[in-house]
This record gives sequence, C-alpha cells and structure tokens, in this order.
Amino acid sequence: MTIVDIGNWQLAAAYLLLAFPLAIMLWYRIPMVGQTALALVRMTVQLIFVGLYLQVIFELNIIWLNAAWLLIMVTVADVSIIRTCSLKLRPLMLPLLAALVAGTAIPLLLFVGLILRRDNLLDAQYAIPIGGMILGNCLRADIVGIRTFYEGLRTGEKAFLQSLAQGALLHEAIRPHVRKACQAALAPTVATMATIGLVSLPGMMTGVILGGASPAIAIKYQIVIMICIFSGTAITVALGLWLTAKRSFTPYGPLDRTVFRAS
Amino acid sequence: MAVQAGEKVLLTGPSGCGKSTILRCLLGFVAPEAGSIHIQGQPLTEHSVWSLRKHLAYVGQEPDLGLERIAHILERPFHYRANASLRGNLQRVPELFEQFDLPQSLLDKEAGDLSGGEKQRVALIAAVLLDRSIFLLDEATSALDKASKQNVTDYFRTRDDVTALFVAHDSEWFSFADQMIQVHPDRGERGTT
Repeated sequence: MTIVDIGNWQLAAAYLLLAFPLAIMLWYRIPMVGQTALALVRMTVQLIFVGLYLQVIFELNIIWLNAAWLLIMVTVADVSIIRTCSLKLRPLMLPLLAALVAGTAIPLLLFVGLILRRDNLLDAQYAIPIGGMILGNCLRADIVGIRTFYEGLRTGEKAFLQSLAQGALLHEAIRPHVRKACQAALAPTVATMATIGLVSLPGMMTGVILGGASPAIAIKYQIVIMICIFSGTAITVALGLWLTAKRSFTPYGPLDRTVFRAS
Repeated sequence: MAVQAGEKVLLTGPSGCGKSTILRCLLGFVAPEAGSIHIQGQPLTEHSVWSLRKHLAYVGQEPDLGLERIAHILERPFHYRANASLRGNLQRVPELFEQFDLPQSLLDKEAGDLSGGEKQRVALIAAVLLDRSIFLLDEATSALDKASKQNVTDYFRTRDDVTALFVAHDSEWFSFADQMIQVHPDRGERGTT
C-alpha cells in the first residue's frame, strides 16, 4: 500500500468545500469572512513554502541541517510563548528556549534512538515530523503553564508575599502556583489520552495509516507519541517554570514586575 | 529611627506618608531609597533577609488567606522549612481562639465565608503561632469592634518579649504604645513619645 498523491486540480477542488462555511458566515452575517480569507491564504502559502523547504531537507538529509530546522522551530515557539504570555523577551527567552529544547529533544531522541532504533537520531523522515508534533504540544502546554503561573502570582501577590513574610523560601512560596500551572498545562493531554481513539482518530495514527502501514503498526506509533508528548510537556513546563522563575523575582523574593510587557 | 527590643511603637502620619512602606521595607518587600535597615543588629540584605524574616510576623489590613479551610490555613506555614520545628504550637490554637473571641467551629469553615474582622483575627493567630519576636501590624484590627480590639491589645500587653511596630488609628493602640513615631512624607520619620 502506498499513499495516493493529490493532483493540483483535485487540491483546488478541495477549496470548493469552503462554500459551506462561507455561506453560513454570509447568511448569519458572522463578521469573520475577511479573517477567514486571510487565514486560508496564510495556511496555503505557509504550507507551500514549508513543503518546498522540507522537500529539500528530506532529500539532503544532513544532520546539522535537520538540527538547524528543529532549532528554528523551537525558537519560533519560544518567541510565540513569551509574546502570548505578555512577558519580556530579553530576560526569559533563553531560559524558556532551554526548557523547550529539553522537552522536545529528550522524548524525540528516545523515540528515534531507543524505540525506532535508527542509527541517525536526526533522520529527517522521523526527527522532523515527530519533533514537530512534540514541540507543538510543548508550545501549547507552555503557554497555558507560564500564563497560569505569572497571572496567578500577579493576582495572588498579597498571599504570595504573606508566605514570604511567614518565613517561606522562594521555592516554597511559589509551590502552589507551580502546582496550579503544571496541572493546567498537563490536563488537556491527560484528557486527550483518556479519550483517544474514541472521540477522534489521532493525527499520527492517521498519518501512519495513510502512509501505507497497517492499523496495528499505527496504534503502536500513536501510543509512543502520546507518551512522548506527555513526557515532553511535563519536562518543558516544569523546567520552563523553574528556569524563568530564576529571573522573575528580586533577590529579596517579591515578583520582579519588569518581566511583564506593558499592556 | 531605632526601636528597642520589647518596645511597642506606633507609626502615625497622614495617609500616603509611608507608614505601611516602612513595614514593607523591614520585610524586604520594598527597597529603601536611602539609608540601611538593621534587625537585631544584622543588616538587611538580599542574603540575610531570608533568615531575618524568621524573627518577623506581619499582619496586614486585608489579609488574603486564600480559599481553604481555616485549620489548613493555620497549618500551612509549618510546612515551610523555617517553621517545621514549631509545629507543636498548633496545640495553642484553641486557647488563642478563645483569647481572640473566635468560635472553634470557625476552624472548619472556608476563608471565603469569614467576615473581615474574623479574617483579621485568624491572621493575627497565624502570626502569633509562629513565635516571632517582632510583630509588624498594619491596621491589623481595623475591622474589629472595640471589645475585640481591646482583646488584641490586652494580649500584646502581656507579651513583654515581643517588639511591635504598628500602624493604627484607634485609641486602644494609642494608649498601648510605648513610643509614637510621626512619619512625614518628605522628611522621613521624626520621633515623639
């Protein structure tokens, strides 16, 4: 079994399906038509460029080029998380980058090296799609975790300072906020694991089946990727909170408000 | 400004003159723009602040106790390494509840269900349980009725071993103070007795 290619005309025909959502938007005058059109154009252009670039990377399959591509993806994710959480890039970019690299690289290398037993740990065919899936989930988890942590500290600053006044060390005073942030960040993955296969067929399993493998192989890939995603998100959130916290408090303990971007 | 061990000092002055800021400076929450702070002869620095806080107890006007049960709130500080050896002090909770005129049934209530005055008294009890030698009280009884305020000042009157710096606008505290310090917004403090 091999995957059937989609011809250009057939691909263009897929856009006809958009008539339904556009008609619904126009009928109910939902003010999202412009936004949707822009998102569709962006999706198409971005994927064409990424497809072309990945085609080259896959054909060359040079380790440093694959690593560089993954690093670019991690850096884009890093900037995106910090911006989304209204934090300042300069103090927090490097700590969060380290957390994202650890959260992505540890499960990725174990998957490719230990489970798939590939000699080349950064083989483009495996490292880039698997790394992308893990990183995408790390990005989502970090946004939830980092935002929960810093917003919790901002709104609950009085209670946090009271803990310090009662003799808590910094790690003791921030522990309730770390706990809440980790819980918020990990809950979606736990919920996904609990319903996977029942509510929807997961992405990797679908991809492996479409690629020509049997469902028996596909579920094994899916189980491993879910474990990798869960472990990666736990690593990146815990490490991200710990490393950014080192730069987010004054030496006397209170939250250093200069880490927040002016709204 | 100097305060001797065991003294009870009232900080007075117009709103916004910096009375609360002085207390926050002592806790290391606000860095002084000039001068230095010494607590028990030790300069307050980014290194010493963590050990010096073990001598301080702070109660604010509107304590944020969280949303947990009161019994849990009183236990929480004893999970910190600095207070682990003081855990036995929790046995004094019934006695302190009686002293501050609070019913024991409050221990099972959630903090969100308490009135402002009850919250202030619970925060005071939490501070007393930590056996600190210096109390920083920032309008800590502002929501209490006259009798309850008297209970609190009576309690501290019996504690010769405790130094207290407090901000208050009530007559009970004025008569309780050994020393009053007038704080001026521009010139800093100027002491009067």
